Amino acid sequence: MKKNQTLLIALIFTVALALVPLIIKKDNLLTYLCMILLYISLASSWNILGGYTGQVSLGHSAFFGLGALATRLLWFTGWNVLLAMLVGGAVAIVFALIIGSPAFKLRGAYFTIGTLALGQILFATVGNIFPQISSLPVQDLVSYTLVSRYYLFLAIALITVLVAYLIANSRLGLGMMAVREQEDAAESLGVNAFKHKLFALVISAFLAGLAGGAFAFFQIGYYPQYPFSPIWTLDSTMMAYIGGTGTILGPIIGAIFFVVLKEVLSLNLAEFHPTVFGVLFILVVLFLPGGFMGLWKRIRDKQNKKRESVAELSHP
Amino acid sequence: MLQPLAQNIVYGILIGALYGLAAVGLSLVFGVSKFLNVSHGELLMLGGYASFWIFKGLKIDPFISIPLTIIFLLLIGFILYRLIFSRLIKLEVDKKIQNSLLVGFGLSTILQNIALRLWTADDRSITTAYSGTSFELAGIRFPAVRLISLGITIVVLISLQIFLKKTFTGKAIRATVEDWQSASLMGINIHRVYLLAFMLGCGMAGVAGTLVSICYSIDPSMGLNWTLKSMVVMVLGGLGSMIGTFVGGIILGVTESATAFFIGGNYRLIAGLVLFLVILIFRPQGLFGTKEGDR
Amino acid sequence: MLKLTEIDTYYGDLQALWGISLEVKEGEMVSLIGPNGAGKTTTLQSITGLLRPARGNISFDGHDLLKVPPDKIVDLGISMVMEGGRVFAGMSVMENLELGAYGARARKDRAETIEHVFETFPRLKERLTQRAGTLSGGERQMLAIGRAMMSKPKLLMLDEPSFGLAPILVDAIFEMVKGINKQGVTILLVEQNVRAALELADRAYVIENGRIVGEGSGEALLSFESVRSAYLG
Repeated sequence: MKKNQTLLIALIFTVALALVPLIIKKDNLLTYLCMILLYISLASSWNILGGYTGQVSLGHSAFFGLGALATRLLWFTGWNVLLAMLVGGAVAIVFALIIGSPAFKLRGAYFTIGTLALGQILFATVGNIFPQISSLPVQDLVSYTLVSRYYLFLAIALITVLVAYLIANSRLGLGMMAVREQEDAAESLGVNAFKHKLFALVISAFLAGLAGGAFAFFQIGYYPQYPFSPIWTLDSTMMAYIGGTGTILGPIIGAIFFVVLKEVLSLNLAEFHPTVFGVLFILVVLFLPGGFMGLWKRIRDKQNKKRESVAELSHP
Repeated sequence: MLQPLAQNIVYGILIGALYGLAAVGLSLVFGVSKFLNVSHGELLMLGGYASFWIFKGLKIDPFISIPLTIIFLLLIGFILYRLIFSRLIKLEVDKKIQNSLLVGFGLSTILQNIALRLWTADDRSITTAYSGTSFELAGIRFPAVRLISLGITIVVLISLQIFLKKTFTGKAIRATVEDWQSASLMGINIHRVYLLAFMLGCGMAGVAGTLVSICYSIDPSMGLNWTLKSMVVMVLGGLGSMIGTFVGGIILGVTESATAFFIGGNYRLIAGLVLFLVILIFRPQGLFGTKEGDR
Repeated sequence: MLKLTEIDTYYGDLQALWGISLEVKEGEMVSLIGPNGAGKTTTLQSITGLLRPARGNISFDGHDLLKVPPDKIVDLGISMVMEGGRVFAGMSVMENLELGAYGARARKDRAETIEHVFETFPRLKERLTQRAGTLSGGERQMLAIGRAMMSKPKLLMLDEPSFGLAPILVDAIFEMVKGINKQGVTILLVEQNVRAALELADRAYVIENGRIVGEGSGEALLSFESVRSAYLG
């Protein structure tokens, strides 16, 4: 019963989100929604590797950037943007496969730093090779519609969350979580840790690559280096933690919270939202390891306990 | 062809010394408490800004105001440790490293943002009366400020060595690194050792920052690169070896310079990072480290 | 002097000690013997505070040890030699001994104490400036004990001092421990080498699976049937 309930709610949300552009006409609002959807994709894709498989990667922006780069280049040479995005995703997959083997030689914090260094290498290299700003040609500017971008972001976000959900509830996901908890123990039970980690990395990369492609389609002018910036990684990581890693809703909540907070703060505390977010992040790491979802679960558990003890009183 | 290359190498050595200094601070903290403070670069940045504003406001020569910067960073280190990092002590090693890394990132985001808001994104650099002077030897220029910085770096590192080797507190720190349980049972307060090591690490970052603001330039976003450089050098030099770390810094500096010379200035940073990855994957104990890396 | 009452200690969720009660009177030499994994080291760690018991009481000289953090134990007069001859390998013999007298109480008498230690362990004096990590197994054990003596303990606890040592060395080490006891230091000896532990001790406790299963004088236990068959083969 629970599962059908969840499915129903998800369906309602999806339909609602799909109908949004018919109701909301203001461009800046639609842009915010696009951003939320983009962050949901980034945070959720990060979460597959970081939250479920326990491999905290700080190089996520590399895949986002690669997807954006490939998509933009192909699209500008006349390719259909959707095909270009698929190629972007494929590029991300290839990169993930190449670095997967050496990367996973590193465990724990070393993996994290290694991916950080890797992300920075790409960031700097792309900045060197493509220093000029990439601007949408005039004819495309004329035909630019925000609504199409919105639907693209919505589609990517839905795909990402759906994939995350399917993986999390599959045997594969179970293996990933086993690797997260106790890699050596999992291995002794026959779980091939490397395969699981690699798979998580590849999926995570692909989805981030798609998100990058959507970004390339959305952003009118930007430096090709920009999507490779560590800020994307850090933001998605923080969102996942604050929302709750290892859950489906966690990254979604984190993403919404991030964008909303940014807006709220921009009214009063102007440009201090990274500080507020940083503080929240630290608080979560120190005191609230499950993020908002963890907190929510704890409250619910307490309420269930109360209900049980009340039930016991009336049924001795 | 040889002369510009030699000049390049000299520049590489001079900046490499600063890399070594920064890395020793990070290495000390990691070696003692297993905290990977990835906001190390931001602390360095703060040191640089402290010197800059002391120079601007109080007109004190930046080399002379180093003790002030150190005190400032010691204080910050104290606060950060008590407020944040001390809560990670009880975790077991793997979690400790990972969480300190995450916390460090939150911290770096905060510090970077505050610096940006307070001081704008402009590059800052301290220019004194003697900033332009340099010495020439065999046709190679040795900028005065960088030589002085080299000297200061060596003095700081030697002082740290003496402290660790000769003083009781220093020995307590070394004992804690070796075997914290036995150290504890001999009356050494482990928490205080951790705190002291953290403060020292911050202090050294501050000195390095000052020297960077004098010899080069600082800006709010410099932190991440310096943190990564410190980590590269830390891994290059191996934990527990100060000489190794210093030499590692030189190696990184020269590698960057050589890369700039042969490939292009834009690839300096990349060279270091690639070197980092190679070392991490193939020789995690560093080039000099004798102790086991934490795998 | 030292009294444990109904100690329960856990490793996480796993209970390791069940109602451990034992007593060491001043001047005694008491052995705690038992098979591998019985809980001997866990008991010592519960006393020093490196592990906190969930239940029970530990008192030493009138002090409630459960309230004392590990780095204050030495000030009360308890010193411990940990398993495996643990010394600070990267530091010299001299530095190791110096650190043994870290606490204020012992620091002022340091020069005198160190001479004393050299009397008991002349080998250490020869190797004063050598890095502790380069010492042989037996020398390391001597250094560990000597270091523990530097704090002028009232109670000296040793965790398997004979572990991994050649038989001649084992005898020598035990002789030294007996000598220390004769000088008035109370000893709690945890040992796998049952015969030696029982021959030297005034009294002994037998621990198995986290519970005390036997107690008595060294001689009595030596002749006790089950001890013989279980441990002496």
